[in-house]
This record gives sequence, C-alpha cells and structure tokens, in this order.
Amino acid sequence: MMSIDAFSPMLTQVFAHPLLGSYGLPNSDSTFGPKIQFLWNFWFWVSVFFTVLITGLAVFFSIKYRFRKGVREVADPSADHNTPLEITWSIIPLIIMMVMFALGFKYYMDMEQPPSGCYNIGVLAWKWHWQFTYPDGATTSTLYMPVDTPVKFSMTSKDVLHGFWIPDLSIQRDVIPGRTMTVWVKAIHTGHFKLQCAEYCGDGHSEMLANVEVLPIPEFKKKLAQAADIWVHNGKILPLHVVGKKIAELEGCLGCHSVNGARGTGPTWKNLAGSHVKLASGHTATADYAYLRQAILYPGRKMVAGFSNVMPNYYTDFGGAAHKKHRKLDALIWYINTLSKHASKASRPPVPDHPGKSKASKTTSNSSGKKSAKMGTSAAMANKKLPAAALPMVAVGKKLYASMGCIACHTVNGQAGVGPTWKNLAGYPVKLTNGKTVAADYKFLRFMILYPGKKVVAGFQPIMPSYSSALAGTKNVKKLDSLIWYINSLSDKASASTEPPTK
Amino acid sequence: MTAVNVPDKPKINYLNCDKTIKSWLLTLDHKRIGIMYLISTLTAFFIGGMLAEVIRTQLLVPKGLIFHATKHMSSFAAYKHYNQVFTLHGIIMVFMVLIPIIVASLGNLVIPLLLGAKDVAFPRLNLMSFYLYVAGAAMAIISTIAGAVDTGWTFYTPFSIQSETYVCWMVGGIVLIGFSSIFTGINFIVTIHKMRPPGMTWFRMPLFLWGIYATSIIQVAATPVIGVTLLLLILERTMHIGFFNAALGGSPVLFQDFFWFYSHPAVYIMILPAMAIISEIVPTFSRKHIFGYEFIAFSSLAIALIGFLVWGHHMFVNGQSAELDTIFSLLTFLVAVPSAVKVFNWLATMYKGAIKLDTPMLYALSFIILFTVGGLTGVVLGCIAEDVVLHDTYFVVGHFHYVMFGGTIIAFLGGLHYWWPKFTGKMYNETMGRITCVLLFIGVNVTFFPQLIVGAEGMPRRYASYLPQYQPYMIASTVGAYIQLVAFLMMAGYLLHSIFRGKKAPDNPWGGATLEWTTASPPSHYNFDDTPLVIEDCYDYSNVKYDESIGGYVRTDVPPKTEPATPPEMTPAHT
Repeated sequence: MMSIDAFSPMLTQVFAHPLLGSYGLPNSDSTFGPKIQFLWNFWFWVSVFFTVLITGLAVFFSIKYRFRKGVREVADPSADHNTPLEITWSIIPLIIMMVMFALGFKYYMDMEQPPSGCYNIGVLAWKWHWQFTYPDGATTSTLYMPVDTPVKFSMTSKDVLHGFWIPDLSIQRDVIPGRTMTVWVKAIHTGHFKLQCAEYCGDGHSEMLANVEVLPIPEFKKKLAQAADIWVHNGKILPLHVVGKKIAELEGCLGCHSVNGARGTGPTWKNLAGSHVKLASGHTATADYAYLRQAILYPGRKMVAGFSNVMPNYYTDFGGAAHKKHRKLDALIWYINTLSKHASKASRPPVPDHPGKSKASKTTSNSSGKKSAKMGTSAAMANKKLPAAALPMVAVGKKLYASMGCIACHTVNGQAGVGPTWKNLAGYPVKLTNGKTVAADYKFLRFMILYPGKKVVAGFQPIMPSYSSALAGTKNVKKLDSLIWYINSLSDKASASTEPPTK
Repeated sequence: MTAVNVPDKPKINYLNCDKTIKSWLLTLDHKRIGIMYLISTLTAFFIGGMLAEVIRTQLLVPKGLIFHATKHMSSFAAYKHYNQVFTLHGIIMVFMVLIPIIVASLGNLVIPLLLGAKDVAFPRLNLMSFYLYVAGAAMAIISTIAGAVDTGWTFYTPFSIQSETYVCWMVGGIVLIGFSSIFTGINFIVTIHKMRPPGMTWFRMPLFLWGIYATSIIQVAATPVIGVTLLLLILERTMHIGFFNAALGGSPVLFQDFFWFYSHPAVYIMILPAMAIISEIVPTFSRKHIFGYEFIAFSSLAIALIGFLVWGHHMFVNGQSAELDTIFSLLTFLVAVPSAVKVFNWLATMYKGAIKLDTPMLYALSFIILFTVGGLTGVVLGCIAEDVVLHDTYFVVGHFHYVMFGGTIIAFLGGLHYWWPKFTGKMYNETMGRITCVLLFIGVNVTFFPQLIVGAEGMPRRYASYLPQYQPYMIASTVGAYIQLVAFLMMAGYLLHSIFRGKKAPDNPWGGATLEWTTASPPSHYNFDDTPLVIEDCYDYSNVKYDESIGGYVRTDVPPKTEPATPPEMTPAHT
C-alpha cells in the first residue's frame, strides 16, 4: 500500500482546505473520524464534479442542439462511435474507483484490528434493550466509556439481529445471536451520544436506544463503582423497592410495562399488585406475591387476556441455583407493589422493604462490603480463601475473561446473560438440560469451556462457540486454569475440588 | 420494410379483434398479456405508492403521526403496524412492481414488435407466467389479510422465524412470483435467439433487446436461489430444522448470503431494462445514431455478470471476514464502471443531435440525472470504511430510491409514454405529459435528497419514531412524497383521458427507426403483414421524415425486399 501512503498526504492537504471541508457527514468524536471524513470529502467532490458535468452537458446539449423547425431538423453528421474516446471514459472512472477502493480498504483494515491493551466491555442486546457489562462486574443500561482509551466491545444478542450503531463515534456492527461480534473504538472527546439499533428487530426497533457517556477516566471509574453494587448507594443499604426500580431499568422491563397505566406490549404495572387479572384462559387471578413471581419467572404459563406471549424468559436472571433467596426478584416485586393502590400483605414479598429493620441486617456488621458479601451481590471477589499463589492466575483469568469475549455472555455479578453468570458458579449445583444436577467442580468447568454444547445448563441455549482451539492442549493449560481460577474467585463455595490442581 | 397501414383494410387490431372476456383471460397474444401485466403491476404500484404515502405521513413527527401510543395502544404495538406498512411497501414494490414492470409488461408489449415477429417463442408459457404472478399476488393478499408480515422485505432470520405474522404465505407467494420471473426470462432468451427476422444480426438488434437479454440471463440464473432460500425459510418456520438457528447449529447470517445472492442481481433485473429503454429513447429524440452501440451492448452483459459477484457488499458490518469485505468492495467498484460508460454514451448521442424534448425524452433526461445521483451514492456505500458509517441508515434508503425510483420507475414511465401511442393507438396530451414529468422530477429530489443527508447524520432506516433533530429532513421528504402523489394523479388523469378522448396516434409519432414503428398503431393481432427483412441500421434516421398530412413520420426510402408475402393467417403464431 506504499503508493497510497505516498498519495494520501497530498490528497489530505487538498481536502483539508476549508472550502472543501465537510458537507453532510457530521464530525466524529473517535479516532476513525478524520479518515472517514477525508474519504467522504474525496467522494463528495468527485460526485459533485460528475453530477454537475453530466447534468450540465445534458441541459446544455438539450438547449444548444434543440430541434427547431426549418432550422435544425436533422442531426449534424458526427461519428457514431470513437473507440479511443470510449476507452478513455472507461479508464478514468476505473482509476477513480480504484483509488476509492484502496483508501476504503486501507482505512477499514485500521478499523478492523483492535490495538493491544483495549478496555473490554460486553454488550448484550435483546428486544428492545441494551445491557453493558464491565470487567469489574458492573452492569449498566447506559454505556459508559473512558475517553482516550481504546475500547473493545464483545457483543451478542439473546434473540434476533440488532445493530450496534453510534453515529458520533463512527462505529457500527451487527449483533448476532450465537456469535460474539467485536468492534473497537477510541473516543477522543468526552460527551453524551446516542446508541441506536441499526438492524431491524421488530416492534420496539426505533426505540431501542441507549445513552452513551464518554467520560474522563476518574469519573468513569466512579460511575462504574456506583453501578457495581445495586444494593448500596454511598455506603447505605437501599430499600428493596429502590433496588427493584434499578433492576426494572437494567433488565429493560419498562420498555414493555408502563408504570403510568398506559397500555404497553405487556400489562402496565400501575395498580397491578393486588388487583384482579383476567387471564386468557377465562379465569381471573389475584395478582398476589406468588402470581407476580410466577409471571416473571415463567412468562407464558398464565397469559393475561389481550396480550401475546412475547416476554423473554427471565428465569435465569432471577431464578437459578445461585439465587435461592430470589432477593432481586423480591426487590422487583416490592417496586411493583409501590406502584399499586391495591397492594396488600398478600401481594408484597415476605421480606421487609427496608433491610435496616430486619433482624438479619442487625446481626451483620456495619461494613457495607461485608453486607454485600453476605447478600451475595457484590462484584468484589467473594472468595477470600484462595491460596495466595493463585492470585496472579486469577488476575490473568480476569484479563482473559474480558479480552476473549467471555464478557459478552457471562456476567460476574449474578446478572444473567446469554450464558450462566460466573458469580457463585464454582462449587454450586448446576441443573442441566438432560435433567441431571451436577456440582460445578474443576472437571465440569473445564469440560464446559472446552466442549460447549455437549452439556447445556438448564434455561440456556447451546450456542457457545468452541474454544478448544484457543484453550485445549498442554500449552494452553495455563490459560484455561487461569480462567477457572478466576471463576473460583467469584464463588463463595470454591474448594479444593473446584480449583485447578496445583502441583 | 413494410409501409404504413394500407388504408382500404378494415381497422382490425389486437384490441378489437375479439372483445369477449374469455378472449382476454385466455389470450396467447403477447400484447394482451403485456396489457394485463401492465394493469396488474400498475395496480400493485398504486397500492405500494399509497403505503409509501402512509410511511411518509407517519414520519412527519418524531413520535409518529399515524401510529403512536394512545390510551388503548402502546407505542410498540402501534409501531408494529408501521413495520407492517413498510414491509408491505417493500415487498410489493420489489417483487410485484420493479421486477416485472419493465420486463414483463413493456417487454411483452414490444419485444416481438422490435423483432418483427408474431409473438414470443412460447406463448403458452407466457400466459402461465402471468397467472403465476397473479397467484403469487393472491397469496400475498391472503397473508396480508390474515396477519400482515412485519419482517421487512428482506425476511432476515432469526426475526422472520420468530415473527408471529403470516410469513409462510407471503414467502410462498414470492416463490410463485419468482417462477413467473424465471419463465419470462426463458421465454425472452429463446425469443431473442430464435425469432430475429432475416437480416437482423446480433449487432443489428435494438439495444432494448440487449438489455432484456442480459436481464433474462439474470432472471433465469439467480431467481432459483431466492426460491430455494424462501423454501428453506418455510421449512425452518414449520419444522424447526435449524438452517438459520444458532441454537441448532445453523447460522442466521447464512440466510443473508442466500438472500443477497439473488437480491443483488435482482437490482440489475430492475435497472438493466431501464437503461435499455433510455438507449431507445435518446437516439430517437436526438434524431441521431446511438453513440458506441457495442460498448452499450457489452456493458449490459458486463453488469449482468459482475452483478452476480457483489452480493457481499450488503454485509460489510455483519462480521464477514475482512478478506471477503475487500473482494466484494473491489467488485462493487468494478461494476460501477460500465454504468458510467452508458451515461457518457447517452450524452455523446445527444451531442450535435436535433433534440426534441417530448415527454419520453424528458423522462430519459430525468433518468440520466437521477441515476447519476443514485450511482454515485452507491459508490460511497461500496467503500468499506464509509459503509460502516452509512450502513442501515437513511442514506441507503435515499440511495436505492434514487436508483429504483429515479432509475427504474422513471425509465419505465419514459417507455410507457414512448410506446403508449403504439399499443393504445392514442396520443396523450403532450403539454400535460411534460408538466407532469418536471413535477415528478422535482418530487423525487425533494423526497429522496433529504434522506441522503439525514442518513449521513446517522438516522437508521426502518424507524417508526426518531430523534427530534432529524425532523426537518423528514418533513421535507414527506413534502416531496406529496408532490409525487400529485404528479401521479395528473398522469393517471391525462393517460385515461387519452384512451377515451385522445387523438388517434400515427404509426410512427416520434420518428423511431426500429421495427415496431413500421406496423400499425395499435398493431394487428399478428403484428406484421409480412416478415420484415432487416438490411440496415435501426438507429439510422436519415430516411425517416416527418409527414404533415399524417402527423407522424414515414420512411422515405424504398422498402427493402421482403420475404415472399405469406398471409399471416397461413403461419399462425398460436395453434
């Protein structure tokens, strides 16, 4: 590509002239911006030239050579072909096309290859919501990005195709179920942008937007720390219904369920708890605690009259072996109760809204870290018993988790993704689709990573790509073990049987 | 060639030779089948156009003017109806209008006339094509009434597998329409090969036939792929086999490859016949030989062949490998060159001509300008790095409407006005024709140019609602759509008027030198009294002169020797 390199500085200079500046394409706040802008300008002026030339000639000929009765009734004699001329006007467009192709190719190659040392963010899309996972365990519905840092996104979808499209950062990539799609970008300015879904995905496609905040690094870290623990704010434990509201936003519930009584894709939550609900079967049910629980965990079992069965399965987000207490579910149901005038003891969860008033919280110490640990929600390492020698392995595993794209499907904070969360996975019993329940020990974890699809965890789809080429074999055993060490570090039931063998 | 109508013969033509309904429905006459195609495709165009007006009206305000949240309906439930509307608009316009409107309707009307032949090679197959089209359209209507499809005309998986609308019926209808298109293609390939009159070598063929020939090759070779793809989609929906389902080991992206393997060449099914019409109109109204006949003829074939190899440029951002992106981008740039060559050739044809700006010529000029914009905006989309910021935005919508509307539809209208006197026997009001063309040209630009700008600013396509900053462009675009509506209503008015009250058309109103102008307007059932003998160039206008007494053009040279005259009844086209 030497010739282009020699060629482009000259062109860049020409098109940097203010008069030939940008028309049409807005400024981009990423490092891709200037190149895309330059190529756009090149194309733009080539196009203007040819449009003016062709339109001009068509109009000019139509006037100059117009038919005039008695004056100009027949054409002047002229050649009906001229091979050198025709070859010339074939070759000139061909050369222009090849220049544009070469520049587009060269710039695209830069955009394709992420530099080393990217910050990794996982992106999970589903109808009609975006969720972002960060290596430190936070999950958000607003995309926070550090400025001046290359960021790599590992993305996947729960259901249909979506399009990850941030016009202001000049990045777009389809998000495809069953695949981990990657794209990277380096933002050069802080700012607030919009992420818009670009690939048609159904009813809510045009509202499948997310806010994007490019922040200075300290502020970015602060935001993540706040988002990391949804149960706590500024060191204070939040009432459950406040947490429930956060969960509703994070999980995208509010896209379909309104809180103001408006009819949505699903029933409104206003005055829902404790009310009488007409079912499609013709029966009437009372929306008590048990009903609400079931409606969230098993959507479609009892359909509400007048709605169709489109709710995604949230079983893995709220159910699952690692969340026996369903605290998140209770928090969400508390929130739904606060929206209803019919709420009663029967519709409220059996746990109190304010943890401070409960016996359990009095017995815990005042340190919020310990409290969160007890709740099993903190993104911080849950397992303090790991051998010191393992800590470097954990750190390597954590890096691999982000850079290999595990982050697209597996969270580390208990939030369900396309795959099971790694929070409290090691050592816990796991129910498989074949009906068996097995303990997630070292052998099991190894097997699941190397041979995905052979055994599948209940509630999930067999869509994980095989990592055996990257992780199998003796030379990769360190990598694989590091990942499993990291998974161990996230579990409070890690033990010798779940940890990789140390010898 | 044969002279004008012999005055003492009774004026029996293909329209009045038999007036029963049965004689229309079971006709084997290419002209009548062409008329039936014309009525069908124009009906589809009307429905698709009204849906477009609904789309544009919806987008006047950011949250939607027609489909929006109400007391009884959520915004998403309302937007679902918008999605159904744009899906139907796309399906109708692509499969029922753009693909057949030139090839099947105008093609059927004029191809045998351009060849001096009595009919196409396989008249019964021709009628079957038409009824397959009707059956496909009927299935589409059933699907729409039962539960209108909301997948977008591209039927991307896995959405089209999960959609609760009547996808199978719609897709089945499109498969039937596909067969219609294949049969038409076979018919025209054989017709052009076997039914050229004595003396008409390949390079004495009118360029319209070259364009149709290239198109027919694509129809025959590419359409089976969409048939298979859509059948796979039906199997997937009914039996959950898993071709396109990641959880069952399939790939959602595979569908896109299959789909575009047809649908990109399909774009050339739409645009090649359009270019072919322009290659007829421009020399006739410039009174000058077409410039660079062979370049134009070969560029049609080049476009048809390279057009098969560029489908991947629809998938630059779906994760296909960088190597594939590169190859598809390169081939896309290559296919742009023959299109540019044609534009220059048309301009060179006008150079030093004696240009009459009648309605067909105004459409041809509109085509040249609009197609230039459409082509150039396509070039930037073919550029991989730029496609990343333009993919799936309104820029793409603007681009393909410039090509499909500004190209195919405008050229079709040019052809319709050009051959209207021939197959109806009536002249339309020329002044109204010119005014309407100018109005339509303005309407197209006001509609689609703002879409290019708003797309470059980042607005994604297929949005039922949008961010407020895009509103000015959306309003402008809607105003353009209303201007188009007015223009089309005017056109419907003066064309219908011409059928009932129009002046009688002469045999050769524009001074064309191709064979269709040597027979009567409208032609007789057998088209020609004698098989013509072609010894000269069909773009030589030196012997075609205006005759005041007829109000049309006549040939002033001695008609060349014809084949021994055999009454057409002795060698019937249909037995």
